Amino acid sequence: MSPADTLTQPALWPLSMIVFLPALVAAVLSLPIIPKAREELIRWVTLATTIVVFVLSLWMAWPSLFGAAGPAQFTVGEAAMQGVVKRPWIPAFNIEYLLGVDGISMPLVVLTTFLSVLACAASWPITKHVKAYHVLFLLLETGMLGVFVSLDFFLFYVFWEVMLLPMYFLIGIWGGPRREYAAIKFFLYTLFGSVLMLIAVLMLYFTSDVRMLSDAQLVGAHVVSPAADGALQADAIATIRGAKSPVHTFNILALAELGQLPNSPFAAAAVWGMSLETWAFLLLLIGFVIKVPVVPVHTWLPDAHVEAPTPISMILAGVLLKLGGYGILRICYPICPGAGLSLAWLVCGVGVVSMVYGAFAALAQKDFKRMVAYSSVSHMGYVMLGLGVWSAVAGNQFRWDAWAQGVNGAMFQMLAHGISSAGMFFMVGVLYDRVHHRNLEEFGGIFNRMPVYSGLAIAVFFAGLGLPGLCGFIGEVLVTLSSWNYSRTLAVISAFTVILTAAYILWAIQRVYLGAEYKGPHGDHLTPITGRELAIAAPLVFFAILFGVAPQLIFNYVTPSVNRQVETLADWTRDVGGKAVQPVAGGPAAADMTTVR
Amino acid sequence: MDLSTQLPQLLGLAWLMPLASFVLILFFGPKMGHHGRNAAWVATAAIVTSLVLSLVAFVSWLGAHPVSAGHHGGDHGAAHAEDHADAAGHVAGEHGSDAWHAAGGHAAAGHGPIAYSGDWYTLYEGGRLRLSIGWYIDSLTILMFVVVTFIATCIHVYASGYMHDELHDVTDHEVTLTDGHHLHRPGRFPRFFQALSLFCFSMLGIVIAGNLAMVFIFWELVGICSWFLIGFYYERKSASNAANKAFIVNRVGDFGMLIGLMALWGALGTLQFADSSVPGADGHAVTKPGLFSLVRPADHGHALRVPDGMVEFAAAEKVAHTPPAEVAGKVDAWRAEGFGRWLLFIAGVGIFCGCVGKSAQFPLFVWLPDAMEGPTPVSALVHSATMVAAGVYLVGRFFPVLTPDVLLVIAYVGAITLFIAATIALVANDIKRVLAYSTVSQLGYMMLALGVGGWAAGLFHLVTHAFFKSLLFLCSGSVIHACHTNDMRKMGGLARVMPYTAGTMLVGCLAIIGAGIPFVIGLSGYYSKDSILAQALSFAQANPRHTILFYAVAGGAALTAFYMFRLWFMTFAGEPRDHHVAEHAHESPQVMVMPLLVLAVLAVVAGWTLPGGFGIANLLEQSRPAGTVETAVGGFAFGQTLTIPAEHLSHGEPFHSTATWTAFATALGGVLLAAAMYVWRVISPAAVAAMFRPVYSFLANRWYFDELYHALFVVPAHGLAAVASGIDQGLIDPFINFLAWTTRQVAGIDAWIDRTFVDGLVNATANATWTLGNELKRLQTGSLRQYVTFIVVGTVALFVIASLFFRQALAG
Repeated sequence: MSPADTLTQPALWPLSMIVFLPALVAAVLSLPIIPKAREELIRWVTLATTIVVFVLSLWMAWPSLFGAAGPAQFTVGEAAMQGVVKRPWIPAFNIEYLLGVDGISMPLVVLTTFLSVLACAASWPITKHVKAYHVLFLLLETGMLGVFVSLDFFLFYVFWEVMLLPMYFLIGIWGGPRREYAAIKFFLYTLFGSVLMLIAVLMLYFTSDVRMLSDAQLVGAHVVSPAADGALQADAIATIRGAKSPVHTFNILALAELGQLPNSPFAAAAVWGMSLETWAFLLLLIGFVIKVPVVPVHTWLPDAHVEAPTPISMILAGVLLKLGGYGILRICYPICPGAGLSLAWLVCGVGVVSMVYGAFAALAQKDFKRMVAYSSVSHMGYVMLGLGVWSAVAGNQFRWDAWAQGVNGAMFQMLAHGISSAGMFFMVGVLYDRVHHRNLEEFGGIFNRMPVYSGLAIAVFFAGLGLPGLCGFIGEVLVTLSSWNYSRTLAVISAFTVILTAAYILWAIQRVYLGAEYKGPHGDHLTPITGRELAIAAPLVFFAILFGVAPQLIFNYVTPSVNRQVETLADWTRDVGGKAVQPVAGGPAAADMTTVR
Repeated sequence: MDLSTQLPQLLGLAWLMPLASFVLILFFGPKMGHHGRNAAWVATAAIVTSLVLSLVAFVSWLGAHPVSAGHHGGDHGAAHAEDHADAAGHVAGEHGSDAWHAAGGHAAAGHGPIAYSGDWYTLYEGGRLRLSIGWYIDSLTILMFVVVTFIATCIHVYASGYMHDELHDVTDHEVTLTDGHHLHRPGRFPRFFQALSLFCFSMLGIVIAGNLAMVFIFWELVGICSWFLIGFYYERKSASNAANKAFIVNRVGDFGMLIGLMALWGALGTLQFADSSVPGADGHAVTKPGLFSLVRPADHGHALRVPDGMVEFAAAEKVAHTPPAEVAGKVDAWRAEGFGRWLLFIAGVGIFCGCVGKSAQFPLFVWLPDAMEGPTPVSALVHSATMVAAGVYLVGRFFPVLTPDVLLVIAYVGAITLFIAATIALVANDIKRVLAYSTVSQLGYMMLALGVGGWAAGLFHLVTHAFFKSLLFLCSGSVIHACHTNDMRKMGGLARVMPYTAGTMLVGCLAIIGAGIPFVIGLSGYYSKDSILAQALSFAQANPRHTILFYAVAGGAALTAFYMFRLWFMTFAGEPRDHHVAEHAHESPQVMVMPLLVLAVLAVVAGWTLPGGFGIANLLEQSRPAGTVETAVGGFAFGQTLTIPAEHLSHGEPFHSTATWTAFATALGGVLLAAAMYVWRVISPAAVAAMFRPVYSFLANRWYFDELYHALFVVPAHGLAAVASGIDQGLIDPFINFLAWTTRQVAGIDAWIDRTFVDGLVNATANATWTLGNELKRLQTGSLRQYVTFIVVGTVALFVIASLFFRQALAG
């Protein structure tokens, strides 16, 4: 790559390094020159890699920490896509190496790199095939980061699949007794979702035509690089304008611009009685909600979590589940706003069902880890509800800020859940490493045996409970409050969940940590928390408190980008979408419940 | 320094001191002296500092706003009744600068209370919505600060003596291990003070909160502190059960509170109590009205009115069909049609639900008696004087927003609670449980008082009750400390060995029954209880069909007198019933007795009004919500018009003397009956119990509420949980497994094709491309490779099919 590229696209190397450094190290580690027996070396190299990637992502996300901000670094408070990298990849299909971050993806990238460091440190007890484990682990990190920074739909899909395979092996080889069943289940579910997603990707690609966009939109969506000089831009635009046949694109930003056009090609095309937009939305939604996961496509999660080794559970709950929410926010809504508007009830509905169903199921579990897994289902339901509360519909009523609050809350909930769920799984893992069982009925008295560990664990579980002052609270309360404007019924049900959450978490704490004596086997193995474990648990607790007390730290990043998208879509509702639903006075909010007078 | 900057600083600091203590003890507790002995000093020093700061704030307040007898009332004569719902004639309009009550100076009576408000920092901001951490300071806030920090100080001192067992290894006789021994564990003295400090911080957070979101935050935090403190002896199953029960039952209340918050937030977009100054579009600060002035706008004479936001929200369908420019003009017409009334009602009842949970009102009072599993100082501070009073405090704080219908709900809930709890207390034998039910009952009194419009009466009783109930609990702690049992049937005759405890507890009992010489002087409860009775009477006269509320108050007073003196007589009077207990009994150490004496003095004097007019009752009048000075008429929800009589009317005749005589007669009757049964023994308690066997066992079993709730809620919840879990395992998973099985069959066919046709090629490719092949080969089940092939082939095929299909479709 020429030096000119680094000048015009300053984020080229930093972003690429963040994404590909783990894969690069994985490739080196997999070479035969690294002997399998050097397990400690492999562990340290992997840990060092994850730390370097974490520092790199921090360098990008938080410039003031590293002195003066460079052009490649992130400007906090800026809503637009930043650090965009654009290189041709497969020109025949207009597939590009298009990366970029905004306030939605940047915090998720940092969350991923941060949890990777902790999960890597949590991998020390892994003794089976250490080399292969770490190679796959690093590949997994590349896949996750790639998904968050990809702006090309094809690239996004590739990373999505890249992530899937290492996860399959990590569960299937290093998992518990039923690992193969869990791994295949995970694989089938996700593969099913991926296939649907691929169909949607292709549908959108072949329907798209960037010639429909204005010059400004072409530049804004990075179809024509805004970094290039004027003459080059003019050339590129002229080429597009001069094309005889439709110019397709995988560019997510361009697809979003197309989808929001008054004469959106996706809304115009019809397939089997529904608009192509609706089909694409549904297919993508299914693909994403399997990852989230929501009821009824959630049953891979408890099995995968229970069987996966602790660090993989941390990654699974902390990052992988977020990919679904991210996909809905980044892809489904902007590209298919019409379908999003008419199917908001579906998104919110499955969210609320998941919240309640997951909470009830968690209450019934006897396996500690399974309980935590179901709590994830319940907590991710908040994310769905927050994303879906499209309340800018009622004719002349534009409550975009209530909707923005829901989406901001959902984003916060994703990040908070990334911390609290990773923490909860780690805490379960610490116990499992010692006594090799997870039966909730056979614990008790752990507080007296391991006081420091128990204190940290209770803090983390309280974060999951949504206690104020800890990170779980803010997201839940913002989502719940915002849902009232969308639907009173769903709002009341979602508020009801707080009772169930308290019940299953407190009950679990009582059975595990409180009580007079430990009731299970291997009681003599209940040794105090080690330094390594403390080094993993303490940061999680620290951030759980920090983000609970100062949520602005996250909102400073998230809110500008989220608000911009929501405002754009609210305007779209008024100018375009509202026309379509105008006959249904009052919109879904009024339709779903008797009017409150 | 200006009061508006000084007060938030002083009280803010007073609020944060216990947090600092919590953090210190959390990290260094065990290192603080032998077994963390000095943790008690750290915590006490913090709360004493808070007390001093609160007192400084109090003095500054009095300097700027002297309390005088003539403060309350406003223009007494011109009581103009106004139906809040009948406001069609009013024009929605500007909230002028006079709506800004905090602007300093002395707001005239009738124009609203003197209050200072502002924000420390923002939690979330987006569009017109903003959640923040801020303050709302009026005389009620300062009074609560002084009361909470004062009682907390007494209890910290007391606890440093009471908890001394935790300074060394403890043998817990209530926990038997599987090997038959009692539990032997290290003491955890610092942890107690750590939790106590966190509690004080959370409690003060509720008091100072400038908006409902902040109230909710600290509401939950006191809940979790309560969880820690109830479950302090967490080795005991009963303690951890009680802790969980308390938190979960409170969450049921919070569920309602969330609905209330949503109703307010969704329609009004603010949860701030007072007006706030926010940057406007042009950069100039604009006044954003808070809840109080939205519901009681200054241009409406501070009379209750459904806010525009709620009208528009409820009339969403009409708004949708009205051009935006015309909406404002039609709001009044919609309001006259009744839009938004239910929303305001739901908001009020919802917020009250939270108070029902926290203040242990019917039907959520079941957690409080169980909460007595915690150490007694905790019962005194958290579960009688402060935290459980937070619900009453919030109703008082939120009072301007409550419609007459909501007030009626509150009054009835209070009445039911005070009656049920009092009846259970009649037959309880555990000294702490008697006090717990008495607390529930007294909280019911306060709620009822607020519900019948006795804003000052209810909050006055909150303050006096805080003093005498914490005194009573500490006395009971002293007794338990001496006897090592809670069972009153094993006590008796303790007055001789514990004179201070007996004497101070007698003061407490006299205070709670409202003893005094009619029209001359009395203990603190005399004043607060009389004002509740008077207001209930005034309400009953204005609304004859709700006369029962007055009877509930009067009857409750008699029951209170009976069970309190039953407690005192059983414990301190007569001869010892159990010699083993009596032999060990001794007066408590000085560190425990001193707080008793201090609190006893306050239990006597807290209700007094000094000659200059200085007193709690008049102090509270400074904060009386705007628009509640006059009698209000309204109500729609129950098909009747309600009159909320102005509170100053109850100070006049005939209410005042009737109330005083009623209180005197009922209290005397209750005491005499108790004496007849337990001192003079002219009536045998056992005979009475036998005569009313079914009633007795009904009461002794606490009306079977626990059993009822277990059957109604706990069992179904576990049932639903089993169903949800069962659907996963019995329905979804088998289906998935079937799909997996099918896929395996397909993969088998695929494998056969593989082996037969493309065997070598695929193997070679797989080995070459899959760098991990060698590593993983041994571990593979064999089917894996097929999966990979499957994706690759499938992807390509789909790509081709889709591209052909769509090219065709688009071309055509």
